Amino acid sequence: MNRLTRIGMLLPALLLTACATSNSARAPDADLHKLKTFYVARLPADERGIEKLIASRLNVMGYQCTSGDLQTPASPVDAVVTYQDHWMWDITMYMIKLDIQVHDGATGAILANGEVSRPSLQRKSPEGMVEETLGVVFK
Amino acid sequence: MSSRSVAAAAACVIAVASLLGGCATAAKSDAMVAEPVAIAHTSSSDVSVVVSGGKATSGMGASQISDDGFAQALRDSITKSGLFKSVAASGGRYKLAAFIGKVDQPIMGLSMTVKMEVSYTLTDTQSGKTVWSKNVASEHTAKMGDAFAGVARLRLANEGAAKANIQQALTEISSIQL
Repeated sequence: MNRLTRIGMLLPALLLTACATSNSARAPDADLHKLKTFYVARLPADERGIEKLIASRLNVMGYQCTSGDLQTPASPVDAVVTYQDHWMWDITMYMIKLDIQVHDGATGAILANGEVSRPSLQRKSPEGMVEETLGVVFK
Repeated sequence: MSSRSVAAAAACVIAVASLLGGCATAAKSDAMVAEPVAIAHTSSSDVSVVVSGGKATSGMGASQISDDGFAQALRDSITKSGLFKSVAASGGRYKLAAFIGKVDQPIMGLSMTVKMEVSYTLTDTQSGKTVWSKNVASEHTAKMGDAFAGVARLRLANEGAAKANIQQALTEISSIQL
């Protein structure tokens, strides 16, 4: 492989090496401190059990949280959590982006959201991505 | 240079070209304006619009939907539909608040589908009561035939999802007697 080809192959890799970013937003008048009980609805396409990681982290954060396949919980909760995980391959699969939304348990309205994007060189484990994203949502 | 090296170099050039195929631009408000909806009821009062939860677009990032862009599209859609007497800059009888709670975008792909959720609240500013509220979900897919550059395809998917969302919200608002 000549030098030109090597340089050419490096360019896309350099362009895809962006910085880690995080964002969050909260609906006007939304007060997340009032929320005590949560339910994490599994994303139908998720076969990695991210909903369990989110529920586990919320429990660690001091909330009462369950998770499941149903999009609405069997018993009333203060908030329902939804998420979208995006994955990429670079030597191994890694989570490049995680979005989390917190919905009002009664009305379904979105109260708050947060997202974290991490490129390959700054990748984190799924547990790390969940912890960082929930940190952004509840900051 | 061998034919394999030429092919590898060409593939890299195409990859770079597609990545540099253009800077991302925000969703355009005029492309998010809903088609006139079938109005069941109209209001003789005016309405003001407030939007939050949107994001600014950076040139090297992905196309996003801004608060200002979505608000303008919402105002233009209301005006076009005749749902309210007029759209006030502020202080209208009714206040329509929209919180863009979710814009799920693909990282890449030939067909790009954007899934969106907006929480709307319509408040009567005289009584202070919420007269309607709803979490409206919508989605739109932009295909390769719609735009070759990925950044443009994502913008089209954003605009389509926002347009469908506004259309659905206005249809529901028109069903209530104000």
